[in-house]
Amino acid sequence: MIRVENGSDFSLEALSVIASGRLDPALVLLIEAAAEMRGLSLQAGEAAAGVALERETPALMGEGALEQVLARIGAPAAKNDTKRPSDADSELISIPAALRARIVEAEEQGGWKTGGGLTSLDLALGGECKAEIMRIPAGAGVPKHTHGGQELTLCLSGGFSDGIGAYGPGDVSITDPSITHRPVADSDGPCYVLAVTDAGLKFTGLLGVMQKLVGR
Amino acid sequence: MPDKRPETPPAGEMLSAEQRERFSDLLEAVARHQDRSAYGEIFGYYAPRVKSYLMRLGSDDAAAEEIAQDVMVTVWRKASLFDRSQASVSTWIFRIARNRRIDVFRRTKKPPLDPEEPLVLPAAAPAPEAGVEALDLEAQVRGAMSGLPEEQLQMIQLAFYEGLTHREISEQLDLPLGTVKSRIDWRFKE
Repeated sequence: MIRVENGSDFSLEALSVIASGRLDPALVLLIEAAAEMRGLSLQAGEAAAGVALERETPALMGEGALEQVLARIGAPAAKNDTKRPSDADSELISIPAALRARIVEAEEQGGWKTGGGLTSLDLALGGECKAEIMRIPAGAGVPKHTHGGQELTLCLSGGFSDGIGAYGPGDVSITDPSITHRPVADSDGPCYVLAVTDAGLKFTGLLGVMQKLVGR
Repeated sequence: MPDKRPETPPAGEMLSAEQRERFSDLLEAVARHQDRSAYGEIFGYYAPRVKSYLMRLGSDDAAAEEIAQDVMVTVWRKASLFDRSQASVSTWIFRIARNRRIDVFRRTKKPPLDPEEPLVLPAAAPAPEAGVEALDLEAQVRGAMSGLPEEQLQMIQLAFYEGLTHREISEQLDLPLGTVKSRIDWRFKE
């Protein structure tokens, strides 16, 4: 298990690889959020990519492409203007912007679920990895779990301990399959985490990549 | 929505500030009024570029067409999540295209990241100045990029747009690794 403290640096090169999309979307989201909590941002790299998109030589779209797309969109669901997470938001004031839109979307799709003493929200990002926001009540623990793969847990607010170390906002714990992981929230308030697991599939070399990404 | 329609520049050039503002206006019109004419203009500019991006990353014409259409459907559906204080339309659509592509085109062209890839640079990542707003950062990036020679723009594109590591870029361009590293700073110094 590895404990990555808030304050360790991300390399620019790592950010460029992340920004371009060579990692699973769940990992991208976790790293974006962690980077933001460290005062770093992928936005410079994404802005550069936006410029590259503008400079792109346009490809010829198929005949009637716009009409086909317009036929698919139908009547759009009107959305209200509120963009803040609706539930639990008073406790999530400092949530990274990278996560905010994803949480709103997930709340519209599946919503928060309660079970095993905690509340969780599946972000359903569509990649191979599963990304969940979990709210662990003060002093409570996530049920003991083992899993076929690795798990990354980014502390968003509050704090938790897992027998190896104590984690505060911006800290990331990385566990490998041999560990039975049981994070317990600090007693002084609820803890929100972003947990990324590989859903039984393989993260090839994830540990090595993550260690390099976070510069430790 | 303004009536004035500034001409978009030819391929190889970035949009002017005025044109970027217009695309933000258009996307907001889509979000607020389901404005199909505004959407059509966005589609006309971005769909062919998204398709090029996908083909650049290894998909064939038919697949790129299909994914580009998916991306544009998402642009319509998620228009209300666009926040002009956070990003330009180009950056926002790039993110959608990138994420969509991850689902569909995993590892068709590029190998998975080598876990031994020496990703860590000796220097700390340059953090944006505290308090720099997202759009200011975007303006800084654009300002810095507008004065660069084509060769350096190409390196930046390989890094941030195509996702090559510095080592891969140095191999592809046959340049020393140190040269690549020094030219891909987010401030894009010459």
